[in-house]
Amino acid sequence: MDWFSFIVAGIMVYVAVAVFLIGSIYRVIQWRRAPKSTVKQGMFPRAENPFKRTLKLGKDSLLFPQVLDTDRWMWFFVIGMHLAGIGLFFGHLRLLFEITPLYNALGAGGMETLASWVGGAIGISLFIAFTYFLLRRFKSPYRELSVPEDYLLLLLILLLVLLGDHLRLTHPFDLASYRDYMSSLLHFKPAFSTAITFSADKWVLDAHVLTANMLLIYFPFSKLVHAMGGFAGNLLRSE
Amino acid sequence: MVTREEQDLAVKILDEKTNRQLLYYLDICTRCGICKDACHQYVATGDVLYLPASRAQLIRKVFRKYFTIQGKLIPSVVEATAPNDKLLEDLYRASYACTSCRRCMYYCPFSIDTTWFTSIGRAMLVAIGRGATILGELADAAIMKGENIDMFRDILIEGLKDTEDEFKARVGDPAATIPIGKKGAHSLYVALAGTHTILPMAIIFHQAKADWSLSLFEAANYGYFYGDTARAKKIAQRFVDEAKALGVQELIISECGHAYRVMEFLYEAWAKEKLPFKIRAVVDVMHDYIKEGRIKLKPGSLLEPVTYHDPCQVGRNGGFYEEPRNIVKAVAADYREMTPNREKQWCCGGGGGLVAESEFDTLRQVSGQKKVEQIRKTGAKVLVTPCENCRLQIEMLNEKNNLGIRISSMMDLVVESMDLPGAKPA
Amino acid sequence: MADELKPDLELDLKGLLCPLPMVRVSQNITKVAVGGIIKATASDPGSMADIPSWARTTGNEVVKTERDGKNFVFYVKRLK
Repeated sequence: MDWFSFIVAGIMVYVAVAVFLIGSIYRVIQWRRAPKSTVKQGMFPRAENPFKRTLKLGKDSLLFPQVLDTDRWMWFFVIGMHLAGIGLFFGHLRLLFEITPLYNALGAGGMETLASWVGGAIGISLFIAFTYFLLRRFKSPYRELSVPEDYLLLLLILLLVLLGDHLRLTHPFDLASYRDYMSSLLHFKPAFSTAITFSADKWVLDAHVLTANMLLIYFPFSKLVHAMGGFAGNLLRSE
Repeated sequence: MVTREEQDLAVKILDEKTNRQLLYYLDICTRCGICKDACHQYVATGDVLYLPASRAQLIRKVFRKYFTIQGKLIPSVVEATAPNDKLLEDLYRASYACTSCRRCMYYCPFSIDTTWFTSIGRAMLVAIGRGATILGELADAAIMKGENIDMFRDILIEGLKDTEDEFKARVGDPAATIPIGKKGAHSLYVALAGTHTILPMAIIFHQAKADWSLSLFEAANYGYFYGDTARAKKIAQRFVDEAKALGVQELIISECGHAYRVMEFLYEAWAKEKLPFKIRAVVDVMHDYIKEGRIKLKPGSLLEPVTYHDPCQVGRNGGFYEEPRNIVKAVAADYREMTPNREKQWCCGGGGGLVAESEFDTLRQVSGQKKVEQIRKTGAKVLVTPCENCRLQIEMLNEKNNLGIRISSMMDLVVESMDLPGAKPA
Repeated sequence: MADELKPDLELDLKGLLCPLPMVRVSQNITKVAVGGIIKATASDPGSMADIPSWARTTGNEVVKTERDGKNFVFYVKRLK
């Protein structure tokens, strides 16, 4: 590994993951430590029992029925983006652990075909969804409502997605090399395979990892904490 | 020009008011703008300041400047701002114009409660002497009345004489009285200032053979609208103390949305005490009387088409959707529902203290258009709603838009359809 | 009659429900000069407590109140 890759795709990954984890835990502690007002904020009709309340919390937080009610296009892209995000997580997880039941069912070739189709679809969906979010922000009244942070965050994510798409879509996908890299990270001996080291994609991979690091580092201090706090907000609704 | 000391004071109030709920709301808003279609004021005016997320954003800007790492490291990226004159002027309009209907909270994917921000905004403005003057005056007058009740007691009782005479005539019972300060009564009824919510309830209580006493104070709480918890608490405490002294089992709040909300959901948190009696909304009490057969209504006695408006503080924020509808349906031959209704209902545009603030007259008129359209669509000739603010607002909309409807309180509707032994109203 | 209180402004607040009579007096008080008098006629008995309370807290003065049939008449003097 050259020194730049070692810093960006090596050391910085550990820093980013640490900031993300510690920062997120810190934010949750910060919330929990603040005194909770005893005012009951719930709206009516109220869920009658804890089970129904949990069900409503899940529905509100995962299906966004209010968004569907208000803005169908936005709901379509929002739900698509979040679903793709989940797929993305499993896709990257596959670089660490093979999803054995699927592998056994489909065989090596079948698994590869599925991964490339699903991975490609997710990559493209995310690009379209985030482009939509970005363009939407240029429209009134969202333009007036937006702060620079909103654009920068979207641009960062778009760049991250674009670089990922490049790695996934433009060349024959070198699964083995990426698995080696992920495994080297896990063993605290970050290294690129020879194939990556001598490919032009090394810089794309470096940039992809760098943007991912930046997103992880900024996450606990950004509005992205809605991934955690959104549940708390929706729980207050039926208090 | 706002001074440095005033800025510090405003920030200090924000610091004091910061709690877990606020932190969540400050952190999780993505400024997605889904709330834009929820706010009647934004929908009617297109003024971005009225967009719920924009109202919250003003508080967020100040919070970020003083209390967050991002605000210190990258202030321009997160728009961290000191409470300068521009911000405070915006904050005034954003906070005091809000009717606290919480329709935006219903539509927010994260259930962010915008009123949490607008009430902090109001509190910050009050602290630096920039609160809404008339609301402050109304609150102070109410407190003054509470502190000098001995001076006003006889005047108030004297003022009720005509009402009591009419009450006796209507129920055909010369011995009937409007009890005031009745020790050990089952309920203390807190009416609104004036007699229009006293006479009908006196009749209903009498016919239901209820054991009640009338409070010397009015339910309305302008301290709450002003945004000053200390004043709001003092105003409510006037009848809380009265109820404790009489030893009643329930405190019945008249048809006044915010007054019910204050007592049922806010007062115990402010006073840090558990009240020794139940809080009841008068509409719920009337509903019980009808259900238990203690008062009898003539079914179908109201022939004109009738519609019902859900007051935000009674419905979405109070939990009474079916009780008032049951009462209306019990007497209406032709009941018509407005759409959307219940938790999705549009605010009439008059809540949050706006009916008392002439500076928002135009806004009230313009932002009531959703309600006007809804009422027109039903073709109703009578609109019933159990909230004084809503009634005052809809009266104004009725007049300005030539809706040609009659607006009635719930209790007037009930009294009209009761068979009373006494004289018909003059 | 001894009550030669000459109002500088007369407000007809009959039919207005509380606290609107008080609100109208407050809104109009700056329309008379300091020392000037507003004569306000209200029909809501709640104003019997509202308007004097308002005057005390805002540093103005109700110099006289009277009944006029079913109505209540207030003479409010602007003091500042």
